[in-house]
Amino acid sequence: MGTYLLGRMLGGLATLICVSALAFFATALAPGNPAAVLLGNMATPERVEAVTRQMGLDQPLPTRYLIWLRETVQGNLGTSNLSFKPVNDLLMTALPPTLQLAFSSLIIAVVIALPIGLLLAQNERRWWSRPVSALITVGISVPGFWVGLLLIITFSVWLKLLPSAGYVPLSRGVWGNFRSMILPVLTLTIYLVPPLVRFVRMTALEVLREGYVDTARAKGVKPSAILMRHVAPNTMITTVTYIGLQLGVLISGAIVIEVIFSIPGLGRLGMNAVLNRDYPVIQGVVLVAACGYVLVNLLIDLAYVLIDPRVRTQ
Amino acid sequence: MSATATSPGRERRRQAGVLGFLIRRSPVALALVALFLLAASIGPIVAPHSMTDTNLAMALQGPSAEHWLGTDPLGRDVLSRLLGASRVAAQAFLIVVLLGGVIGTTLGLIAGGRGGIVDLLVSRITEILQGFPTILVAIVIVALLSPSLTNAMIAVGLAAVPDFARVSRSVAIQLRDREFVDAARGLGASELRILWSEILPNMIGPLVVVASFDGAQAVLWEASLSFLGLGVQPPAPSFGSMLREAQSFLAIQPSLAIVVGLAVSGFILGLNLLGDALGEYFQKPGRNI
Repeated sequence: MGTYLLGRMLGGLATLICVSALAFFATALAPGNPAAVLLGNMATPERVEAVTRQMGLDQPLPTRYLIWLRETVQGNLGTSNLSFKPVNDLLMTALPPTLQLAFSSLIIAVVIALPIGLLLAQNERRWWSRPVSALITVGISVPGFWVGLLLIITFSVWLKLLPSAGYVPLSRGVWGNFRSMILPVLTLTIYLVPPLVRFVRMTALEVLREGYVDTARAKGVKPSAILMRHVAPNTMITTVTYIGLQLGVLISGAIVIEVIFSIPGLGRLGMNAVLNRDYPVIQGVVLVAACGYVLVNLLIDLAYVLIDPRVRTQ
Repeated sequence: MSATATSPGRERRRQAGVLGFLIRRSPVALALVALFLLAASIGPIVAPHSMTDTNLAMALQGPSAEHWLGTDPLGRDVLSRLLGASRVAAQAFLIVVLLGGVIGTTLGLIAGGRGGIVDLLVSRITEILQGFPTILVAIVIVALLSPSLTNAMIAVGLAAVPDFARVSRSVAIQLRDREFVDAARGLGASELRILWSEILPNMIGPLVVVASFDGAQAVLWEASLSFLGLGVQPPAPSFGSMLREAQSFLAIQPSLAIVVGLAVSGFILGLNLLGDALGEYFQKPGRNI
């Protein structure tokens, strides 16, 4: 078990090092001298040279990477080229809406998808099994951001019930925050549910073929009890890992949905930075997202050890 | 998989019937994919209007005899732009499947064929690639280069690598100690030759299934990245950029967003259904879950 966790942690560390190198070199190799950009119209050759030296840009690339890595680990991500605010501050204000959007959608999606997937697996031959499966294939094919637009058309344009964009922070009222998050969370949930149902159904079908299910059936345990006591927990374990692996999908989905609904989160921050070539902010956003990805996967591996006795005893 | 199912003769006979199987099993998939291919190949030629000429006097009109699907905020014909967008989506499909297919299949073949430390290394690399947020890779690549279809699709192609690698690796492992491979080895064929001419032909089926699902993902990602402004640049048409333009006018002309979204969803659905049906046909779903 110790080696298992150690291996996982080393893997996570390797991912982070790769991502940090990617984020750094993408910036370092990008066209344009950051010193000249920083000086703007005050740039003269002498000043550019002075600032270049001051910023350490005349050092060889590997040295610069190590310096940058040291600064980053210490939590200093530089300042935005666009707003001249510290990247740390920008990230700190952008993180809460993204986390709220991502986690509320994920939780709702799991609560919806688990029972549907389990029921689909158990009732493979019922009349409603086929149409529901077809609906799931349709759900997988429909772009998430289009669902968002359809929801805006329905609830904002036609029914005039909900705002079509904008974000109200929790600090400015729970009700306003709730109203502004309904459509984004709904969109992300609809985006997450179909692949999740598909996975749960497939896993549950495999679990249903296990020997212990046959044993339970032979003992005369009721089908509903088998589903709840044997199939559901074992399906959950695999599903938790799957969610960790699919975290990239969640992050991507959250970014797109933030742009649609003008939520000032990480995604919109990153998108604006890319389109304006604001490299320190791009680095910051990529690093935060990658850290989140690695961290959650590590937590899931840890949870695996806690919830699955088979891993614990290995 | 039974011993006969993968012997070359049986495989060839089964492939001859693939079209018949698809017509019976999944006509909707076949129709949607055929429509997609037709739109992408001859669409730009038969398009009734220019894709890029603007005419503000005709902006945001509903469907009419002149413009069957109406016009966009700059007065361009929506049908013509959809046909152009189909070609862009097909290009995205090709880039992703070629990039992911060539790199992924090569990695998987080598890993599965050789085993040992190589296998371990390749599995680790694909494991890291798998599930890593595609959008972050796209952001970094686009920040480094510039927003364009090819640059955005490189990121999506990289995300497709693990799928191809996983499937080709598992087939290579199943086959590497089988009789016909041993026979080739006994005849003095090199490992490379065995991988190329004995093992690769036997994984075409599963690879086509993966290509179908990852192709659907490619179209979906092209639309998403172009929607964000990271992909196809205006005035070139793309499903994503058209939806982005449509969003500003949802209150005035909602049908624009509905029509464009239906088109792109239809194509993606076709490819996903095709993948499902082909997976059933080859009985070894290399399903992209």
